[in-house]
Amino acid sequence: MTDAVAHPTPHSGSLLRQDERTRRRNNAERRFRLYGQVAIGIAIMALVILLTSVLGNGLSAFRQTFISMPVTLDAAVLDKKGNRDPADLKKVTTIGYSKLLVNSLTQVIEEEGIVVEGLASSDIKDMISDEAAAQVRDRVLGNPDLIGQTVDLKVLANGRIDGYLKGRVSMESAERDSNVSVNQLRLTESLVERGIIGKSFNWGFLTAADASELRPEAAGLGVAILGSAYMMIVVLVLSLPIGVAASIYLEEFAPKNRWTDLIEVNISNLAAVPSIVFGILGLAIFINFAGLPQSAPIVGGLVLTLMTLPTIIITTRAAIKAVPPSIRDAALGIGASKMQTVFHHVLPLAMPGILTGAIIGLAQALGETAPLLLIGMVAFVRDFPAAPPEGLFDPAAALPVQVYNWTQRADPAFVERASGAIIVLLVFLLVMNTAAILLRRRFERRW
Amino acid sequence: MNDMRLTERAVDATDVKISARKVQVYYGDNHAIKDVDVDIPDRMVTAFIGPSGCGKSTFLRSLNRMNDTIPICRVEGKITLDGEDIYDRRVDPVQLRAKVGMVFQKPNPFPKSIYDNVAYGPRIHGLTRNKAELDEVVEQSLRRAALWNEVKDRLHAPGTGLSGGQQQRLCIARAVATSPEVLLMDEPCSALDPIATAQVEELIDELRANFSVVIVTHSMQQAARVSQKTAFFHLGNLVEYGETGQIFTKPQDPRTESYISGRIG
Amino acid sequence: MPLPATLFCGLDISMSIGLLLAIILGLAAVGYVIGIRRAKDRAGGDTRRLHSLAGYHGQSVLLFTAVPALLVVGAWLLLQPVVIEARVSGMIAESDVPQGSSLDLVMSDVRRVADGLNAIAANEQLTEDEIAAMGADLGGLRSRLGNAGVALASDVQPSVFEASRTYRQMNNTGLTALSISAILVALAGLVFSASRIQAEFRARNVSESFVKLLFIGSSFVAVLTTFGIIASLVVESVHFFQLYPIKDFLFSLTWNPQFRGGSDLGIWPLLWGTLYVSFVALLFAVPVGLLSAIYLSEYASKRVRSVVKPAIEILAGIPTIVYGLFALITVGPFLRDYFAQPLGLGTSSSSVLTAGLVMGIMLIPFVSSLSDDIINAVPQAMRDGSFGLGATHSETVRQVILPAALPGIVGAILLAASRAIGETMIVVMGAGAAAKLSLNPLEAMTTITVKIVSQLTGDTEFASPETLVAFALGMMLFIFTLGLNVIALYVVRKYREQYE
Repeated sequence: MTDAVAHPTPHSGSLLRQDERTRRRNNAERRFRLYGQVAIGIAIMALVILLTSVLGNGLSAFRQTFISMPVTLDAAVLDKKGNRDPADLKKVTTIGYSKLLVNSLTQVIEEEGIVVEGLASSDIKDMISDEAAAQVRDRVLGNPDLIGQTVDLKVLANGRIDGYLKGRVSMESAERDSNVSVNQLRLTESLVERGIIGKSFNWGFLTAADASELRPEAAGLGVAILGSAYMMIVVLVLSLPIGVAASIYLEEFAPKNRWTDLIEVNISNLAAVPSIVFGILGLAIFINFAGLPQSAPIVGGLVLTLMTLPTIIITTRAAIKAVPPSIRDAALGIGASKMQTVFHHVLPLAMPGILTGAIIGLAQALGETAPLLLIGMVAFVRDFPAAPPEGLFDPAAALPVQVYNWTQRADPAFVERASGAIIVLLVFLLVMNTAAILLRRRFERRW
Repeated sequence: MNDMRLTERAVDATDVKISARKVQVYYGDNHAIKDVDVDIPDRMVTAFIGPSGCGKSTFLRSLNRMNDTIPICRVEGKITLDGEDIYDRRVDPVQLRAKVGMVFQKPNPFPKSIYDNVAYGPRIHGLTRNKAELDEVVEQSLRRAALWNEVKDRLHAPGTGLSGGQQQRLCIARAVATSPEVLLMDEPCSALDPIATAQVEELIDELRANFSVVIVTHSMQQAARVSQKTAFFHLGNLVEYGETGQIFTKPQDPRTESYISGRIG
Repeated sequence: MPLPATLFCGLDISMSIGLLLAIILGLAAVGYVIGIRRAKDRAGGDTRRLHSLAGYHGQSVLLFTAVPALLVVGAWLLLQPVVIEARVSGMIAESDVPQGSSLDLVMSDVRRVADGLNAIAANEQLTEDEIAAMGADLGGLRSRLGNAGVALASDVQPSVFEASRTYRQMNNTGLTALSISAILVALAGLVFSASRIQAEFRARNVSESFVKLLFIGSSFVAVLTTFGIIASLVVESVHFFQLYPIKDFLFSLTWNPQFRGGSDLGIWPLLWGTLYVSFVALLFAVPVGLLSAIYLSEYASKRVRSVVKPAIEILAGIPTIVYGLFALITVGPFLRDYFAQPLGLGTSSSSVLTAGLVMGIMLIPFVSSLSDDIINAVPQAMRDGSFGLGATHSETVRQVILPAALPGIVGAILLAASRAIGETMIVVMGAGAAAKLSLNPLEAMTTITVKIVSQLTGDTEFASPETLVAFALGMMLFIFTLGLNVIALYVVRKYREQYE
C-alpha cells in the first residue's frame, strides 16, 4: 500500500458554511424537484381540464327546453269516425297531430297578446320539435280517452330554440341560419317571459331512443344504455366463469411445462393487443364466419368478453396467489381432494379479489368503443331491443359508440348530447370503480 | 481472544473527532437511542457492539445524518464533528456525508462499471480537475481497498460481477475515494465468508492510518481484533465505553460482562 | 359493407336456441336429482356406504348431461353457416354472376333475400308452397321484399331466388336437426352416467376430472382467441393480396382508395401518421409520466402521494372515447385558433399535435405507474450507498436509480408505444382522415387504425380490395404491437429477475 500520491482534500472548510459547489448542487436539486412538481401539475391539470371540458359541455344536456301549453285534442281531427277504433286512430299521421300543436301554440300567442312583426305561420310551426307530434300521438294511441279533451302538455321545443336558451344560438347566428329566424327568437323571448317556454329536467335524454340528424332535441340514450347493459350481461356471464376456471387451472393444477408457458405468454400478450384487432376478430369470426347478426349486443358482448378475459385472468390469478399455501396444506392435510381444497377454501378467500378484478374488467369493457364500430354498432337504431335472451340478437347501440355517433353529426347540438352521454358513461364507471374499491376495502385481508 | 495485542495497541490516545452528547433517536413513538454520550477519537477504530436491536446501527447512521432519509426518524441532542454541530440548521447533510463516509452491511455496488463505482464520489463532489487525476484517485482508492491487483485489468466490467468480498472492498474503495475524514461501517463483514472477512478486517486496520473508523459489528471477536475503542450498547443505552482491552477483560457493568460471556445475545 | 340494420331475423333462431338451452339445462337438473336418488338407493339408505358423497353422483350426471350437449350446440351453430354457404353457393352458376360482380356479392344477395322471405313468411304466415309460388312473380317479389325492409337494386334472378329458398330451408332444417341431436346427446349422457352409479362408484373422482377438463378448456380460450385473431387476419389478408399486389401495399407512397376500383393502397402514409402521432404522444407522456413517478416515489410525502397517485390513475380509468371527444371539442379547436392559424401552419382542428397531445395525456398514468413500480424495485441499498457518499437526492436519482432502472423504463416506454400505435378512438376523432406524408404537426394526418375503421364501416362491398385492405392493415398493426410487447415484456422480466 503506497500513499505516495497525495489524496486531494477539498473538504477542509467548515461544515457550517456551504461551499460554492454544494450551493450549485443544491440548486440543481431544487430544479430537479421542481421538474417533478411541474410534471405532476401538468398531469393533474390535464385531468381537471378534461373533466371540466366534458362537464361544461355536457351538463346542459340534462336540461331541455319545453313548451307548456293547453292542447285541445280535437276529436274531429283525431277520430273522424268517432268510434275510437284503434285501427282508425292509427290512420291519423303525425302531420295531423302537428297541426293541432301548431294551432294550440298560435292560440296561446294570441291569447297572451304577443305580437312579433313579420312572424310567419311556418315560424310558429318550427318552434315545436318534429318529435313532439309523434310523442303526443303515441300518448293518445295509448290512452284514446284523451281525445276530445283539452290537456296541459309539455312538448319539446325545436333544437334551435333550445340552443338559444342555452346560448348556442344567438340573434346574430340566427340571421345566417336557415333553420331559425330572428323572429322566432323574439317570440321565444316573449314566451320565456310568460313562462310558457322554459327548461326542465330532460328524462328523455336517459330513456328515449336516438333521433335523426334534424331532431337533436329528441335524441336520447335509452337504446344505448340498454345495449350496453345487455353487453355487460354477456361479458359477465361468460368472462367471469371462463376467466376464473382458467385461472384456477393455471394457478392450482397446471404442470410447469411448455404448454403452460405458452398459455401464460399468450395471455399477457393478449392483454396488450389493440382493442381494434378484437373488432376485426369479431367481424371475421362472429359475423362473417358464424353468421351472427350485425349491431347485436351478443356479438359486442362476445368481443368484449374475449377482450376482458386476460384482465380477469390476470387479476384472478393474483388473488388466488395471495391465498397462503398454509391454508391449502391444512385442507389437504385432513384429506380433502385438490378440487375440494380449491372450491371450499381457496376460492372463497380469493373471491373479493376476483370480484374486484371482474368489476374493473367490466368497467373497461363498458368504455370500449373501437371494436364495436367494426361489428356494426354504429348503425342508427331507434327500436328498443326485446328482453333477453332474444333481445341479445336485436340491433342496439352502445353508450360509447353513441357518443362517437353523435360527434359525427353536423348540428352542434349533438356535441352537447355527446358530452352529456359521456357524463352518463363516467357516472356508471364511477359507480363501478367505487364498488370495486369498497369491495377491496371491506374484504382486504393481510396474511 | 488475544489480550496481549489489545493492550499493546491501546496506547496512542489522541484528539476527539466526533463527540456525542445526550443523543436521543426516535422512530415514530419508539425511543430507539437514549441519552448516549460518546467521544470518538481520530485515527482509531471504534467498535460498537451489542445484541441485535440495541440501536448501534441507528446511532451509527445518526453520525452522518443517514437517518434523515427515514421520514419518521427524529434525532435530538448534540453531535459534533471537529467541534461543529452536525445537526445545525446551516449544515448541509450532503457536505457532511462527504466528510463522513459510510459502508453498509450488504455490499451495494451500483449497477455500473468498477471504475464508475469508485469515480462516483469524486465526480459528484468535483474532487478532480481532469481524467488523469480521476484515474489516479480511482487507482489509489482501489489500492487502499486492496482490490487493485484483482481488478486492474477489468476496470470497466460491471461492479456487480465481483464476488461478495470483492464487492464489499469495492464499496470501501468507493467510500475512500471521496477522501472522508471518518468512515462509518455498518456490519461490513456480516454478508461475507471468513476469508473475505479476514481481508476486510486487515483493510480496516490499515485505513486507521488515514481515517477515523467507526464499525458496528455483531461479532465480539471482530471488535477485539480490529478496534482500539469499544462501545457496548444495550436496549438503546450506551452501557459501557472504553479501551477495547479494558471492555473485554475487565468490564465494569454486569450487562457488558453477560454479553461478552455469551449470556445476552 | 352495407349495414342491414334490422334485416336479420334473429328472433326465431334465438327463440328456438333459447328453448333448446332451457331444455338441456332442465334435463341436467333432472339428472342431478336422479343421480342423488339413485346413489342413495344403491347405498341402501346408508350413505356412509357410498364411496363419494351423494352430491358428487348428482354432479357427475349433471355434467355428463349438460356439457356434451352444449358443446354440440356450440359447434353446430359455428359450423352450420359454413356448410350451408358451401352448398348454396354451388347452386349459383358462373353465368349467374353479373359482370363486375362476384360470387361473394351474389351470395350476400342470397342471404338478404332469404332474410326477407323469412320476414314475409313470419308477417303473413305463409306455407312453404306459398313461398315457392312467389318465385313466379319476381317483379312483385322485389316490392314485397322492399316492404319487408329488404331493398334490392334489381329484380331477383330465378337462380338467386331458388338459392335463397334453399338457404332458408336448410337453415330451418338445420335448426330442427340440431335440436333433435342435442337433446339426444343430453339424454344419452344422462342415461349413461346414471346407469353407472354404484355404491363404490368413484363419482367424486369422475366429476372432479370432468371439472378439471372444463378448467383446461377455459384456459384454452385465450389460445383460441389468439388463433382466431391470427386466422382471421391472415385469411382476409391473403384475399386482399390476391386482389391487390403486396408490393404496392408495402412500398407505394400514396393512399387513395377509389369507390370503383383503381385505388392506391400504399401503407406508408398511414404508417407515417401512426408513428408521428405516437412519437408526439410519447414525447409528451414519457417526461411527464417519468418525472411524476420519480417525484411521487422519491420526494412526495405520504399525504401528497395518497392524493396525487389516485388522481393520476383516474386518467387511466377514463375510456378513450372521452379522450377522443376532448380532442375533438377542446384541444383541436384550441390548437387551431391559438397556434395553427396565427402561425399560418394549417386550418384544421384535427391534427397530429391534437391527437398526439391527447394521447400523451392518456399515456401519462401508464408510463408513471409502470415507472413507479420499476423505480420502487431498485433496492434501498442503492440509495443508501449513494447517500452515504454524500450524493444529493437528484444525483442519486439521475446517476444511480435511473441507470439501474433503465431497462425497466425502456420496457415501459415500449409498452406505451405499443399502446399508442394501437389506439383508435383518439386518432379517429383527433387526427383526421387525410393520408399524407408531411412534417407539419398542425396538419391533419391519418393512421392505420383510423383507416381500419373507415374502410370497414364504409359503404364499399366486403369483397373489394378497399374493404379487405383493413385486414392487411390490421395484420401490420398486430405484428407491430405484438413485436413491441414481446420485446418489452422480455426486457421488463429480465430487469425484475436482476433484483429478485
